[in-house]
Amino acid sequence: MDPIAALLILVCVIVGGLLASLGVHMIPVGGAPAAMGTATGIATGTVQLMFGAALTGLFTASTVATFFETPSPLALVLVALSGAVGAMLMLSFTMLFANMLYVFGAGVVPVSGRVEVDPITKEPQTPYKTPQTDGHGVPNVSYISGWIGAFLGGFGGALMYFVLKNYAFPASLFAELGAADAEMVSAAAAGIAAAGIFVANAILSAYNIGGTIEGFHDPKFKRLPKALISCAVVSALCGLCIIIATWGLSGGGGV
Amino acid sequence: MTVPTAPVEEEEAKPKKGWPPTETGLGIIAVILGIIMTILPFLPSFVKAIGLTFVLVWGADSVRKTSRYGLGTGVPSIGVLAVGYGVIGAIAGMGIANVGGDFTIGGVEVLNVGVLGGVALAALIGYISGIFSNSEKFISMKIPGLERGMTELGVAGTLAFLLESSMVAGTLKLSAVLEDVFFSGAIAFMFILSALAMFHPFNACLGPDEDRGRTLLVSFEISGLICIILGIVSIALRGSQSLGLADAVGLILYGIVVWVVFYAKFVRRAFEGAYEVVGTGLIKTVK
Repeated sequence: MDPIAALLILVCVIVGGLLASLGVHMIPVGGAPAAMGTATGIATGTVQLMFGAALTGLFTASTVATFFETPSPLALVLVALSGAVGAMLMLSFTMLFANMLYVFGAGVVPVSGRVEVDPITKEPQTPYKTPQTDGHGVPNVSYISGWIGAFLGGFGGALMYFVLKNYAFPASLFAELGAADAEMVSAAAAGIAAAGIFVANAILSAYNIGGTIEGFHDPKFKRLPKALISCAVVSALCGLCIIIATWGLSGGGGV
Repeated sequence: MTVPTAPVEEEEAKPKKGWPPTETGLGIIAVILGIIMTILPFLPSFVKAIGLTFVLVWGADSVRKTSRYGLGTGVPSIGVLAVGYGVIGAIAGMGIANVGGDFTIGGVEVLNVGVLGGVALAALIGYISGIFSNSEKFISMKIPGLERGMTELGVAGTLAFLLESSMVAGTLKLSAVLEDVFFSGAIAFMFILSALAMFHPFNACLGPDEDRGRTLLVSFEISGLICIILGIVSIALRGSQSLGLADAVGLILYGIVVWVVFYAKFVRRAFEGAYEVVGTGLIKTVK
């Protein structure tokens, strides 16, 4: 196979993995304590949130990708941005409705437990926090952090999808199925492979933050470089697997 | 008034014979069965399903032994990690088999050892991510045996995907699998159901009175459900190389038998472990 295509796959899978890892560190995940309203964040695990956001991003990205016949830098940017917007929308709705449940259902104020003053709006946090808890709901700073995280994660996932669809599993490899079916097979293979690499990176990053984080203002955010190194290595190996699969699919031969 | 008690031993000292086998024993059985069923793609689906069942139970056992110490993100994360590595490893393995290690006689694929390359790659990724997760310099989760657990999960995920793909498509040729399994969307079922079979048993049964033999019965039960669904999928798809209607019906029957038998076993074990079983009056109480 073409060595430039192989290099492109490897680089984009690593970049996508790093963006996924960065995204996980910025979304407000509360886990089980948040389900009882005693910690800041959305009341579910990192995997569920990030996988949900990335899959929504893949849906929007794959829809936009059908408008482009041939890969071009403009197509790459537009597809990746549409993935980012899809992920942002999904996470925004989740955070909004989580907040509505906390405020109108549980009767608690969205407040951060890690900082005394909101770093963005400068609103005081500590006076509104229930004693013995780690905050409640999704306060402004976490909401904005979650937006940025979903944007980065969705961008990374869609970037991987675009490169895998056009260079790792291009429709020309399945030409015997007919043009329309070949496009669909190519999209399905790229989507599942991108989702597999994305969850692997998202979960390694989730282990790094120990399951819960409030956003970029959380002290745990300083652990980010450790996750980035681990994710870069694991993504590189996953990219290598994809390159091997493409090499085999195109019938082997010299690189 | 509480009396301080001595810390309870994590594992019972003397391993009993019969069910459940030791962790290593179960791993060896599952790997041998899984590899034999994977490299012989011409076998009927319900025979491959036996391999699939053992591979998934082994995966559930690996999830159990790593999640016992608390992952921080909930048990499901490590099951999803296993299928994430599994799907990458399976694609790479089928790609390798496309180049070499795939022997076809008279249009029937008789031996496919190339896919084992993908299993080895998934094991490597799992081992390296285990090292990174446990290392003090990196994620430092400090879970004993995490490297081994993640390696096993990578292998179990890959073998599960390969077996499921060959059950639905009837072959392990990457182009046929991409067409029958990926294009049809069956991969989405496989993705989440394989993860479910690995993480759900421990996620549902964990607690102070968790019992390894009882937990693993849930995994058998879910693998039966997966076989029923895959049988229906293969009837609906009628893939280009699939082994025919009788094969799919056999798979569904195997799934139903496994599901019913292990569900009954699990309920009986749960009753045995209970202090007392009392009926609510709504359902007839089973003694």
